[in-house]
Amino acid sequence: MPGKTKLSVGYGPNIKTINVELPPSEPRPWDTVDDMTVVGTPQPRIDGPLKVSGEARYTHDIALEGLLHAAVLRSPWPCAKVSRIDVGPAAKQAGVGAAIALVGVGDKLIFAGQDVAAVAATRPELARAALASIIVEYEPQPFVVQTRDAMRDGSPQVHEAAVEERRTGADEPGAERAQGKLSGNVRPGRSQKRGDAKRALNKAPVRFEATYTTQCHTHSCLETHGVVVRWNGKKAATVWASTQSIFGVRDEFAALFGLEPSKVQVITNFMGGGFGSKFGANASGTALAKIAGDLARAADKPVKLMLDRAEEHVCTGNRPDSIQLVKLGATNKGKLTAIHVQAHGTAGIGTGAGVGRNAASVYTKVPDVLVESADVFTHAGPAVAFRAPGHTQGAFAMESAIDELARQLGMDPIDLRLAHDAHPVRRWQLELGRERFNWDARRKAAADMRARNTRVRKGVGCAVSIWGDFGGTEARVTIEIGRDGRVVVKNGVQDIGGGIGTVMAQVAAEVLHRPVEEIEIQIGDSKLGPGVGSGGSKTTSSITPAVRNAAELAKAELAELAQTALEVNSTKNLRWTAEGVSVGRQTLSWADLCKRIEGEAIVAVGFRARNSAAHPRSFPGFETPEIAGAQFAEVEIDTWTGEVRCTQVLALHDCGRVMNELTLRSQINGGIILGTGYALMEERVMDPSLGVMLNANLEQYKACGVKDVPEISIVLTEVISGNNSTGAYGIGEPATIPTAAAIANAVGDALGVHVRSLPITPAKILDALEQQQRASQGGTK
Amino acid sequence: MAKRDGPEHDETRGLTRRGLFRSIGAATLVAGCTKEDPPLHPESRAVADVDGAIGLTPTPLEFVLDGQPQKLEVEARTTLLDLLRLDLDRTGTKLVCDRGACGACMVMVDDVPRNSCMMLALDVAGATVTTVAGLGGSSQLSALQQAFVQHDALQCGFCTSGMLISSSALLRRSAGQTLERADVEDAIAGNLCRCGTYPHVVDAVLSVANGGGGSAHNVVLLRAKPSTKSGGA
Repeated sequence: MPGKTKLSVGYGPNIKTINVELPPSEPRPWDTVDDMTVVGTPQPRIDGPLKVSGEARYTHDIALEGLLHAAVLRSPWPCAKVSRIDVGPAAKQAGVGAAIALVGVGDKLIFAGQDVAAVAATRPELARAALASIIVEYEPQPFVVQTRDAMRDGSPQVHEAAVEERRTGADEPGAERAQGKLSGNVRPGRSQKRGDAKRALNKAPVRFEATYTTQCHTHSCLETHGVVVRWNGKKAATVWASTQSIFGVRDEFAALFGLEPSKVQVITNFMGGGFGSKFGANASGTALAKIAGDLARAADKPVKLMLDRAEEHVCTGNRPDSIQLVKLGATNKGKLTAIHVQAHGTAGIGTGAGVGRNAASVYTKVPDVLVESADVFTHAGPAVAFRAPGHTQGAFAMESAIDELARQLGMDPIDLRLAHDAHPVRRWQLELGRERFNWDARRKAAADMRARNTRVRKGVGCAVSIWGDFGGTEARVTIEIGRDGRVVVKNGVQDIGGGIGTVMAQVAAEVLHRPVEEIEIQIGDSKLGPGVGSGGSKTTSSITPAVRNAAELAKAELAELAQTALEVNSTKNLRWTAEGVSVGRQTLSWADLCKRIEGEAIVAVGFRARNSAAHPRSFPGFETPEIAGAQFAEVEIDTWTGEVRCTQVLALHDCGRVMNELTLRSQINGGIILGTGYALMEERVMDPSLGVMLNANLEQYKACGVKDVPEISIVLTEVISGNNSTGAYGIGEPATIPTAAAIANAVGDALGVHVRSLPITPAKILDALEQQQRASQGGTK
Repeated sequence: MAKRDGPEHDETRGLTRRGLFRSIGAATLVAGCTKEDPPLHPESRAVADVDGAIGLTPTPLEFVLDGQPQKLEVEARTTLLDLLRLDLDRTGTKLVCDRGACGACMVMVDDVPRNSCMMLALDVAGATVTTVAGLGGSSQLSALQQAFVQHDALQCGFCTSGMLISSSALLRRSAGQTLERADVEDAIAGNLCRCGTYPHVVDAVLSVANGGGGSAHNVVLLRAKPSTKSGGA
């Protein structure tokens, strides 16, 4: 049904009709008029039984005949030249099938943890033991691991020449490429500009200026990065990979070994978390697929290389830290006139320390904005995209500054946000949150506790997020309806934990009126047809429209069979139900209908078309909907000990059409819990004198345990935009963007003074209180 | 092999993360104060009896795994986790931190949840070990496993087997008692989940312990639908 059509789109009660032009063969997108029976309902994930019985096989669990286990020797020095390397002794150790050097004499190593040599042996402990026999001599050189130190003139230089920017499918779509020239360890990167922020700041009657810092944050996926490589002759290979992008692994592996991509099969039946770090065959700081492939060739046996926990922290990426100088200009009446953010951050030896879009793209009513980001190189493992790359750092600084300015102006911080944000859904979310979080009463209670100087204080804060529907058109979903009535949906996409297979089954069930449990889903293998990388929160919005479109094509074929069988003039007269298809009182059961299929099965292939619409607002620079979010947090602080807990979070999010309320809730909870750890606990600690990470483990690197989790409430503000045939967007990243900022603002509300550095530890709280006290005693100078 | 008692062998509570830190802290302290190896036991200061010592050659081991008697030989250095994953195909038990900090490798040893990465295989001689596979296969799930699926108490699924072991042990020792959220939180305090699935795990365990319901989640879906009256934001 190509061509022009009308769609009923909107959010909440704000519904309107828009005209859209659809590409040929594209079904009319589900809009607010369509009533769904399966899509949107809470459906337990279809592979749940395999996961709770331990039967699910992850890459870590792959066992093959003759499999060898690899281990990698890593540089103990943050900066050193290799003066000798001899892997010969390792080759002679018990159980060793191959030992290879990964560096040569004269090579320079630039972070502690860099690949030096590797061994494959029959048991993991034998491989690790054999590493000890490798002879390497290093000439240590000066290094720098702290961001501020690296920015100083004369500090040891990490890169001598221009740095290639490594980008992955998890990077924020549309983020500008870095163009600046390297100066010392600093290379200016992305910038966002509107008007002339510097001039507007000079003219502003009210000015606010503060520096905010955030820590380096590691992904800490429970399943470490890893692959199993089995060569099938010299020109073909099967690779099991713990990855967010099966096809990314396939293409990079093929390129590394000079193979045809079609000769590389990549399998990811289950994977244990990625959060942005698992794109490509190699990890950002270790060439793990190249190593496993070379070892497998040298030993002529399949090789498994799974990193250990310390390696996972050090060489598979992290969220860059940041030092953000934020300057705001305003009128006395609280009208923001200028925002200027100067951000520096270290992505270690890598690139990508940008700070997201809150400043430039949320506060669109501020006329003059300049956001400048620079990479600062240090001798540490390279960063990589991490769930909403740049956005969590940027949101923390920008949303903190907005709150601090509101305090300076004596305004309510929600009012200040509403006055400068034009997105109608985010404005609605802020108003809903104000009411549902009991904002005014809680703010009053917090002020009262501050005034009485109570030992235990409570405070509330809010912050907002911006994201886009970045769904891609590259996936090809196949649906097969067999003569036996079986429905199989196939695609080479991977499930990173969001439960994509389950929503695929729901969409097919919705279109075909079949029970969800009768839809067979096959995913996790490159042989199943082009999928999409799970980065940018786009899996659901890329895959579900393709499923629907494939199902509609297959259903059209079935309809023709039914039309003949039931002797009706048009397929439009057919009524589809759980029993089958009927006209009047005549019903043809699903089984009988499918028996009429010519040949073995109907096979249809579907894909997502380009966006049809971007209602109510488009993401800056894209013809795609902007996704709005806001979160409210409450904290409780013991001002004597500095102990701080986040007690409650209210999350208000727009994720297009809700596909599965149950798995959606899981993702939102997860985003908030990750953000809570980022706000209060997690931090990579580098030793400035040794240049190594001190807490590369899970007992000193503190992620949230169950007792650190706030009580979470969720409000889903559904938006139907007509942008794709199912109306799905993503939620993985939006759900974590504002959490740390909201918690920081709640801390500011409880204390009356802002803690400008993440994580907000008890020590920083006591520090802030002490400075506040000094300032009040010192009086005005 | 006789069972030993000690702070980390508390039969009723199992091994908690905090308990583990305490024992590590104590061991580090002792090691820092003396140049000799810390005394293990007053009587063990005499020269070891070489004949009975467990050395580099594989040693016979018998124990019961998921209801099946096992008779095999293992090296002294092999951890229980490696034995389960590499030799006995119990890959549902996961290797994550390899130092007792995350609970992903938990199994029940004589009904006590233990981090199998922190035990040697030979430590379970004569014991009964239950892994996630012993709780129920995918076609015959236990009530707790079913509740995990119903409440979506898993995302990537890598922490799930450990969560199930901790919470099974809780249900076993609290048989029939009504549980509060805090009880479940205590039980899974040593299980790390990076996807942030904790609230649903607590819901699932409570639904089994207290019979149905048990969900404290609070979700409101505001649908995009034309209202009869003209409302607005």
